[in-house]
Amino acid sequence: MSQVAPSAPQIVTPKGLGPGFIPVTIVMTVINIAVMFAVLYLPLNFLLPSESNAASDSAVSIDGLFKFMTVFGVAITVYVSGYTAYFAFVFRRRPGESIYTVGVPIHDAPKLEFWWTLLPTILLVVLMGLTISVWKQIQFPDTAAALTTEVVGHQFNWEFRYPGLNGSLYSPTSEMHLPYGKPVKILVSSADVIHQFWVPEFRLKVSAVPGMVTQLNLTPTRAGRFDISCSEYCGANHSIMQGSLVVESPDAFNKWLAAAKVQVANASGTISLAGGDPGVGKTTFSQKCAACHNAGGTFDQKIVGPGLLHVTDDPAHPKLVDDKPPTPEDIAEILVKGYTGPIGAMPNRQANGLSDSDIANLVAYLVSLK
Amino acid sequence: MDVAAHPIEQHEAHDHIHPAPEGFIAKYVFSIDHKVIAIQYFVTGLLFMLIAGSFAELMRIQLWNPKGTFMEYHTFNQMFTMHGTVMVWLVLIPLVTGSLGNLVMPLQIGARDVAFPWLNMLSFWLIPVSGLILFSTFFVGAPSSGWTEYPPISLEQGPGGPLWCLAIIVVGISSTLTGLNFMVTIFKMRAPGMTWTRMPLFTWATFATALINMFATVALSAALLALFFAQVYNVPFFDPARGGSVILYQHMFWFYSHPAVYIFILPAFGVISEVLPTFARKTIFGYKMIAFSSLAIAILGFAVWAHHMFPGGIAPWLQIPFMIITYLIGIPTGIKIFSWMATIWGGRIQFTTPMLYAMAFIGTFSFGGITGVYLACVPVDLHEHGSYFVVAHFHYVVAGGAVTAFFAGFYYWFPKATGRLLSEKMGKVGFWLFMAGLTGTFLPMHWLGLEGMPRRYASYETFAKAFPDAVFWNRFESVSSFLMVAAIALVAVNIIYSIRSGRRAGNNPWGARTLEWMISSPAPYYNFKKIPIVLDRPYDFTQPLPYRNLDEVTDPYPVPSEAVLPRNAAGMGV
Repeated sequence: MSQVAPSAPQIVTPKGLGPGFIPVTIVMTVINIAVMFAVLYLPLNFLLPSESNAASDSAVSIDGLFKFMTVFGVAITVYVSGYTAYFAFVFRRRPGESIYTVGVPIHDAPKLEFWWTLLPTILLVVLMGLTISVWKQIQFPDTAAALTTEVVGHQFNWEFRYPGLNGSLYSPTSEMHLPYGKPVKILVSSADVIHQFWVPEFRLKVSAVPGMVTQLNLTPTRAGRFDISCSEYCGANHSIMQGSLVVESPDAFNKWLAAAKVQVANASGTISLAGGDPGVGKTTFSQKCAACHNAGGTFDQKIVGPGLLHVTDDPAHPKLVDDKPPTPEDIAEILVKGYTGPIGAMPNRQANGLSDSDIANLVAYLVSLK
Repeated sequence: MDVAAHPIEQHEAHDHIHPAPEGFIAKYVFSIDHKVIAIQYFVTGLLFMLIAGSFAELMRIQLWNPKGTFMEYHTFNQMFTMHGTVMVWLVLIPLVTGSLGNLVMPLQIGARDVAFPWLNMLSFWLIPVSGLILFSTFFVGAPSSGWTEYPPISLEQGPGGPLWCLAIIVVGISSTLTGLNFMVTIFKMRAPGMTWTRMPLFTWATFATALINMFATVALSAALLALFFAQVYNVPFFDPARGGSVILYQHMFWFYSHPAVYIFILPAFGVISEVLPTFARKTIFGYKMIAFSSLAIAILGFAVWAHHMFPGGIAPWLQIPFMIITYLIGIPTGIKIFSWMATIWGGRIQFTTPMLYAMAFIGTFSFGGITGVYLACVPVDLHEHGSYFVVAHFHYVVAGGAVTAFFAGFYYWFPKATGRLLSEKMGKVGFWLFMAGLTGTFLPMHWLGLEGMPRRYASYETFAKAFPDAVFWNRFESVSSFLMVAAIALVAVNIIYSIRSGRRAGNNPWGARTLEWMISSPAPYYNFKKIPIVLDRPYDFTQPLPYRNLDEVTDPYPVPSEAVLPRNAAGMGV
């Protein structure tokens, strides 16, 4: 760059829009039309899970929006990058040319600027219209839900509740079931921190927010087994907070629900508390309960859950079950079903891995805390 | 830009030069010289970038196997938290404005320093203080709930949480002060004749950034103070059981953190608007549209924050206005991209390293912008939110946008800061490495996210069963990410090599037309011996060069008559 600057730099004016501008434009347009047909007519399973075999009604309309944006997004990317590369090539400084040679000093073209402002605006307004119609269908569906289920996020698994089920399905192995062909409403909440309920095949997710109930409305359209992922960071084991969703025929679903009712009823049936051993119960407590409960402190001496000293006769201890001081049977019921209250959630027996005799021993131990 | 030295009688009261400070400490440590502070920002920024980058590489090693056995989940969670925190608050926010803004803006407006040099020094020194507080959390348990630190999960992380809040509040103070400082500088210290429409576009972008820094950062400080009190004193701001709201924090956090994206992308736009005309040897196309679109983006950027919370529990009707305003940002952004393309059309393009980065920016940034439209679209966002698609999108914007433009500006202004040119060979190898690494790392993340891979996962066994290609693409990304490390290492090598044996730059190695190139390199302590008078817009390459080396002007210089070139009859704007 040691050249001496000339007193009047040479100006190079291009002929027309540049050599080969029209062929380059045609090539890019052909590419874009090919991409458009590919996006609209080929299955996009490599981009979106089960795109060609949609799992919910929302997935169909969301994929439609996705394709609309992809057609235009690819076109804009191809034109912007393509023209930039093309300009860089044809308007390069030629070897031997002075570095002070300058391009044509055009600094405005009002008509061009008008069109490149107006056209993207029109495109975005069309996109707004399309988006709002899909959004309305997802958020405010026309048909009332035939089934309402509840999902509760816990660190680090999902709890599922069904109407008419006295108790919930809550263990790392339990599955969510839904019938296909019927509009369902899924109410989502959290027992501890923020989680996010995501089924990629449905193309829908919603956060499980403490203190709120959020919802998803959709109609599953085919049978299948899908993963439920937590997509909002929720703690150390966030990445293994997975659930399973089985979508099946309404008949199979009803059968499953009936069986689940029997299973939950059995699980929460009366447990014989006779013969509980406080000594064994103490050991079980230190293994399974002591992380959250303080056996040597009164109600207010919390770890996560309340302190359990004087659990049966401490007046400060709330009357959780039937508004009377807790009985051994009440304690057993909480151990079986778990409990969700203002300070957090206690997992049920399946999650804690408590057998009938564990529960009897624990109740004997807890009653002995005086 | 046509300039003349200032007639001495107009500024007699203050037209004298202060002597340069003596001694190492005053010169290089607690310096109040904007050019030295710029270098300090650069060195700390690059250091933090290397640290945060190594956290990212540890994460990429963890994701080599779907089981993720390289480190414990908790450690992985700390890594992505610290990677995001350091990159956003200790690299992107201070680096682009702090180093390029500090070095270039006062020179471009013909000032001897910023308005408050002592405040400028304070702003810089708050950054290492914040870094020390942040890294001290490693001794007490580093925070692990992501750079967003959403409560209630962020309430459960011991003393690391409140320390994190303090560190970021300190950065916030620093960037508010810088915003104030730059705003006053641009308002009050432009050389005579430099009207708003004669200001170089990098200065315009710095002005828009200062605006955001001043008005958005307070919301962040409020959010983090609330979080701090919730963590330390158990104040129930975010506890629904005691009347608080979990969502409240997210609203306050994103009210700052969305405009924060523009804090690092607007100066990047400014860099591109300087580099493209210089190496295309052609005046910038649509000066006014580019300048005003920066302001439009800065202002609209304040009204889009809830698009980060679409599936997060905001009322459904609230999603639509935020979506529409987010779409609208596409319009000024599009205007800029088209204007840059029109700038290089019909030029005589020189393929220097800064120009390569600037032209690549047009492609990578517009790609990142387009995926932003997907995320603004509520129904599509309900699928893509919280997935690797989001990770891909914002890395295209920050690495493909802000960092790419930063490198363009770095190669472009390095000679002005040091007096030496960087090695073009190393620069070009580094450019191709960086672009290959960027594409290989972040492009596959788009389809991983669409297929259902959530972000912030320390292991992805379940996902790898559903989408077996995930293992291949994750390994592909891990390998590619090391190309970016190589590119950044090469920048460091290039600096060390060129500072000793690079070619001497002279005043104006690139033949550029803004004021900073009309004084010697490195710029003298006082910048301008006589404050110049500005007679026209920058970027007029048809003028002979150099007009006059301002260093040599010691006597009152007669003011040339105004109109130098007949203006294009078409005028400006639509």
